Amino acid sequence: MTQETQIPAQDLPHDAALTHFAKSRRNQLIRAAVIFAGIALVPLAVRDTYLQNVMILTLLYAAVSQCWNILGGYCGQISLGHALYFGIGAYATSVLYVNYAVLPWFGMALGGVLSAAVALLVGKLTFRLKGHYFAIATIVIAEIGLLLVHNWDYVGGALGIQWPITGDSWATLQFARNKLPYFYFALVFLIVTWLITFKIEDSSWGYGWRAVKDNPEAAESLGIEVFRSKMAAAALSAFFTAVGGGFYAAFVAYIDPESVMSFRFSLLFALPAVLGGIGTLWGATLGAALLIPLTEITRSYLGGSGSGIDLIIYGGLIMLVSLMKPEGLLSLFQFRKGRPA
Amino acid sequence: MNRRELFKHGAAVASAVAIMGSIRDASAQAQEIPIGIVYPMSGANAQIGVDARHAFETAVNIVNAAHDVKLPTAANAGLAGLGGAKIKLIFADHQGDPQKGRAEAERLITQDKVVAIIGSFHSSVSNTVSATCERYTVPFVCADSSSPSLHRRNLKYFFRPAAHDEMFTSAMFDFLDAQKAKGNKIETIALFYEDTIFGTDSSNVQRKLAADRGYKVVSDIKYKSNSPSLTAEVQQLKTANADVLMPSSYTTDAILLVKTMSELGYKPKNMIAQAAGFSEKSVFDAVGDKLAGLISRASFSVDLGVKRPSAKYVNDLFRSRADRDLNDNTSRQLMALLILADAIDRAKSIEGPKIRDALAATNIPGENTFMPWKQVKFGEDGQNVDASPVLIQYSGKGFKTIFPAAVAAGDPIWPMNT
Repeated sequence: MTQETQIPAQDLPHDAALTHFAKSRRNQLIRAAVIFAGIALVPLAVRDTYLQNVMILTLLYAAVSQCWNILGGYCGQISLGHALYFGIGAYATSVLYVNYAVLPWFGMALGGVLSAAVALLVGKLTFRLKGHYFAIATIVIAEIGLLLVHNWDYVGGALGIQWPITGDSWATLQFARNKLPYFYFALVFLIVTWLITFKIEDSSWGYGWRAVKDNPEAAESLGIEVFRSKMAAAALSAFFTAVGGGFYAAFVAYIDPESVMSFRFSLLFALPAVLGGIGTLWGATLGAALLIPLTEITRSYLGGSGSGIDLIIYGGLIMLVSLMKPEGLLSLFQFRKGRPA
Repeated sequence: MNRRELFKHGAAVASAVAIMGSIRDASAQAQEIPIGIVYPMSGANAQIGVDARHAFETAVNIVNAAHDVKLPTAANAGLAGLGGAKIKLIFADHQGDPQKGRAEAERLITQDKVVAIIGSFHSSVSNTVSATCERYTVPFVCADSSSPSLHRRNLKYFFRPAAHDEMFTSAMFDFLDAQKAKGNKIETIALFYEDTIFGTDSSNVQRKLAADRGYKVVSDIKYKSNSPSLTAEVQQLKTANADVLMPSSYTTDAILLVKTMSELGYKPKNMIAQAAGFSEKSVFDAVGDKLAGLISRASFSVDLGVKRPSAKYVNDLFRSRADRDLNDNTSRQLMALLILADAIDRAKSIEGPKIRDALAATNIPGENTFMPWKQVKFGEDGQNVDASPVLIQYSGKGFKTIFPAAVAAGDPIWPMNT
């Protein structure tokens, strides 16, 4: 199976199944192009700042959840500590920009590299653990990171880091009132993570990861280096999660440990993918598109009352989905059955 | 999405038209001036938001109805400067998250067209909300976040009528100096604080002032907030047995601290608290019997009514609504709205820059507030330097103001435990 996939599927037109597969891949791309183009047009109709804000968060969480999905969905390593990588990205970007005037673009890239390095270190320590034990270990490591940042004066400790208020600029990613630049940045970020996931689906790495997810022993016996596979997935996932963190820091223009590294974020990255359909191309995006507007809008329009109705709705929805459709919302649609029979 | 959009824009246009219409015949028909209130209404600090709501609604009542009390905008119904216009509050929930605070501020400004915002309890959230207000040239009145870093950001639309942590802590050390001058032996201090922005800021200032004024810090303990156990920490405090213990803790930790001290048989010689948990009714309900003699910094105390009649009047109004006395937080919130209403009244306008200028020109003498402040007058940085804090002492039944002498209702019990 792994041998076949190293040859691009399009080059084997004689095999009916592969033709079908190549066609469905092409269709996926076309469908994605249409969907993303549609999303890109939305702000032209929706000019309300608040709703644009909700859309930016939705796109951002969709993208970061897509990153989480690489490790959690495709490779089957459920991480509940991705806030660590998000935080590293946010902090690297902020510290470099505020203290050394390094533009956030470089900060995000450096944060990504740093984050990937940390993910490799964390992987070295934890990838021998399986299932729940791995998930618990990731929570613990992220909490350690949170405590360290809390007590590290160089990065502002509990006080956090405030970005200076400056004029609008693409270089510094600061826009006082205009939300569109953030919207398009987040959209491009989502498209990039989507394309990576798309590429992974039909690459030897992707097949390897799914094999590791299904049965590590069997995968090993087929010649897949399980440990290295996991490490690669973790590094890739962490890199892009950190880019998301850097963007978040630029967007909010203020970070403190609780607001980028708390456990809540780790959950928030896993939930959209789980809700939408774990290990699928569109799961994270679909999950985020439902979850984020729901929580944001219910909080804004019902939260002011102090009754907590918004949180009840949020909790109820998650319970409903996990009870009725544990395999995710995507299972409601038939179109994902694009794989060869 | 489109229909909602349409509806929303329709509503916004309709309300804008309504506001504009009412400006035109303001003398005949009172307009409503929307003011945004951004607080934690759900989550771990929901109680703060619920209490704040009572405080702000009491203030609205003072502004919108006629009251015979010496407070800004109280005398007549509504705002005289805007033809008797009434103010209206729009509440938003930030759940303690700076990002949500920012988004809510933006929503209030762009959708609800609020003319100013008051917030936000958490210093981290006040940070992003005030930065957003700055970007939209809408004034932000910081009612109760006390981090000193907030007014040092060169914001033009940031105003804080109440004291910040350095002022509060200075008052504590002024008090200690005064006690020393009276011949009491005070040499050592123990710091005990949570690992949040509040605890960090508070302890930094305490450490610095202790060094400046010649007190020795014998115990410097940072703990994780909402800790399940404080036994190890209290053991350290007990061993050090400083002359003064200075805790900076919120409600649950404050209760746990006092319980643990009692279990381990540690009776601190004196305790001076950085308010927070130690100004919450729930702490005294739970462990008040062990806290007789506790001193806390405060912005307000009910017995101020002796010196400031308006304090009793406002407290009674608040009490009838909330069924409790004003405390450190609610008093500051209530006063913040009165100060903002006064500025809008003088600005005779609902435009942000004009209200901002009116706020900057604020000059309210202390006796026209219900707070122990000397006056309300903002510096270039938006901080009111004359928001004199007080120290209050718990007697076992209630609080008594003990410092500074000008507003004190009696002498302190010192030491707390012998």
